[in-house]
Amino acid sequence: MAQTNAGLKHLSNALATPDQLSNSSSSLDGVPSELETSIRCAGAQLTQAAGVLLHLSQDIISQAIVIFTRFWLGADGGSLRIYSAKDVSAASLYLTAKLSFQPTSPRSILNVYNLLLSQDASPLWFVNPRGAPTQPPTPDSYVLSEGGYQTGRLVLLRVESVILRTLGFDTHVALPHTIALTYLQTLGVSRPAVSRRVLEHLNAALLSPQLLYVTHQPNALAVAAIYLATREEGVKLVDGEWWEVFDVDREELGFLVVGMRSTEGFMRRETEVWKNKAIPMEIDEVDAEVERRRMMDEGE
Amino acid sequence: MSAAKSRWADEDPEADAIIAQRKREKEEKRRAKAEKQRQLEEASKTSAPTQPVDAGQEANGESGPPKKRRRLSNDPDAPSVVDEVPTSEEVKKQSSLLRFPVGEWGPCRHVDNFERLNHIEEGSYGWVSRAKDITTGEIVALKKLKLENSPDGFPVTGLREIQTLLEARHQNVVYLREVVMGNKMDDVFLVMDFLEHDLKTLLDEMREPFLPSEIKTLLLQVVGGLEFLHSQWIMHRDLKTSNLLMNNRGEIKIADFGMARYYGDPPPKLTQLVVTLWYRSPELLLGADKYGTEIDMWSIGCIFGELLTKEPLLQGKNEVDQVSKIFALTGPPNQQIWPGFRSLPNAKSLRLPQTSGAPAGNPPLLPRSRFPYLTNAGLNLLSTLLALNPASRPTAQQCLAHPYFREDPRPKPKEMFPTFPSKAGMEKRRRHHTPEAPKRGQDAPELDFAGVFGGAPGGDTGETGAGFSLRLG
Repeated sequence: MAQTNAGLKHLSNALATPDQLSNSSSSLDGVPSELETSIRCAGAQLTQAAGVLLHLSQDIISQAIVIFTRFWLGADGGSLRIYSAKDVSAASLYLTAKLSFQPTSPRSILNVYNLLLSQDASPLWFVNPRGAPTQPPTPDSYVLSEGGYQTGRLVLLRVESVILRTLGFDTHVALPHTIALTYLQTLGVSRPAVSRRVLEHLNAALLSPQLLYVTHQPNALAVAAIYLATREEGVKLVDGEWWEVFDVDREELGFLVVGMRSTEGFMRRETEVWKNKAIPMEIDEVDAEVERRRMMDEGE
Repeated sequence: MSAAKSRWADEDPEADAIIAQRKREKEEKRRAKAEKQRQLEEASKTSAPTQPVDAGQEANGESGPPKKRRRLSNDPDAPSVVDEVPTSEEVKKQSSLLRFPVGEWGPCRHVDNFERLNHIEEGSYGWVSRAKDITTGEIVALKKLKLENSPDGFPVTGLREIQTLLEARHQNVVYLREVVMGNKMDDVFLVMDFLEHDLKTLLDEMREPFLPSEIKTLLLQVVGGLEFLHSQWIMHRDLKTSNLLMNNRGEIKIADFGMARYYGDPPPKLTQLVVTLWYRSPELLLGADKYGTEIDMWSIGCIFGELLTKEPLLQGKNEVDQVSKIFALTGPPNQQIWPGFRSLPNAKSLRLPQTSGAPAGNPPLLPRSRFPYLTNAGLNLLSTLLALNPASRPTAQQCLAHPYFREDPRPKPKEMFPTFPSKAGMEKRRRHHTPEAPKRGQDAPELDFAGVFGGAPGGDTGETGAGFSLRLG
């Protein structure tokens, strides 16, 4: 039994404790929880975009987003008023890539983040609310100076250490993606559209405000994505409670299905709420936003 | 799981809706089945008189109507056997689903939670000392990672060591309890179970080598641990006797994962600068950049030989000398026993003697004279572990199944092992002469093996192997 459990480590993750979910270091520092959620979600999108530009595989990107998400949880986690979301995003990606088969250099990371965080050149809606530039941006709006690189590198490496210490050096992240594909084969579903939809759900769930990846094991995420995708694509699965074969009970499945479906609505609301302004990704921007909200509250 | 249930129970109306809908569907199914059952019974009643007349006809006539009805009842796969399924499924409901081990994460503790007792040794990747956990009083080994001059942040070797050790939970792998930190950013310590001995020091101190039965027990444990590592896609890449720790209960554990890493299929790009020279396999020495778990099996062969003779088997002074020592033991490679070795980068400069007739067997048996007390099965195992061709070496799993471990004398029970005074537990400092593991970040040396079979630059060619002569043809 111990032997089989040891083998299961590959398929399972450390999960957040209820305590870690209800207290965050940021909220103790006075960051409102909707703001924290918005920043965390934007940080996850920033990590995803940077990973794509760095040609990293989705495995690495997903693991980096999970590490990024874990970092902020719990009273012992990182606070948005001490660490910039953009730095933690960059360091998570750098750290995860370093441990993978596709390591990348600090310079590549910093170049990409410099572009993505440039208020003129960034294609990201929450950095550059005017939208991706139609004209090619001028180089000096996104090229990193040598001095900028040297300071950026020091910050990157320092935050990397901070992440490792905050997580107790546990960098293990099991992902549901390959598990889901195996389950699909087991269920005899071979339609590519379904597989694609499953992966889309799993990648979207990385951004979920319900933090699905740190509250549920990957097999449950995989099953929920398959349930949704086959529904949406009109593929009929076997009768009976097939999810139990994959060790997921109906209650957990139901919760995950709801959570995954609500991600899209959440993202729409986010773009609505933050329509004309950037989501704060740095400490002083967070401070300013917290202050602004406090003034608004007092004014009313 | 019940805790988790209550955690989500009341904030989840949509899931409830799904469940309710499922229940409704199930209820409908059940009603449909009851209906079918009734109809079946009716049908069998009406057809009962015709039963004796013609079985075949009856069957045809019988199966017709219910089939149609089945389709109508919108229940596509319901041969009557399936009727049993819901009930058995309901019984199974109680049967537990597999629960995954749920870990947690939390910040590192401070090293001040431990009181340092004495220094043990300095390895290639850190300093090790014996320490006491102040809260529990347990004795642990504290290994400080070397982090200075790392231009790329936290060294990947240290990260891999932690990552692989955290994942490799096995009775024959040293147990990493936690990672603690010191005052400075680059003070990182691994807290591991303390073991009294390492095999290298023990062999140095012993008057006589281990008994054959003891060697089997030791080897089985090491290979057992290694088999687990390989099954988890971890290569150790620095197996040697000083990295095998032993306690006074006859248990042996693989330690020092400073070189360990995950591999994959297809294999990722790997550095050749791995494994301490004396335990390094010929394909690594010849510069292969694609290699696999076979390099660990070669090291196991070297360890096996060392257990037999109490002396490291192949003590080369440098890479060239190491290669010539290997060939002196195994005989030179040729296209039959190792197809394709010629295309390895460093093999170009290798001038082999014209061998007249290679030793028989593939891989050839090692010279019996070197291991006079070893049984035939033992010599066979050792010869395959030290096969020049990596493909000829057994996997860890195959190794465990080898007849050598089943013939007499049987492996000695661990409890019967003798105990030894612990050097690590006392203040004594030890130094041994095993060369250090290769340093990361060095360039792979450009090696010229021209001298392997000639007036060797490394000297010490006096030791001739049994199989061939070192004279150039």
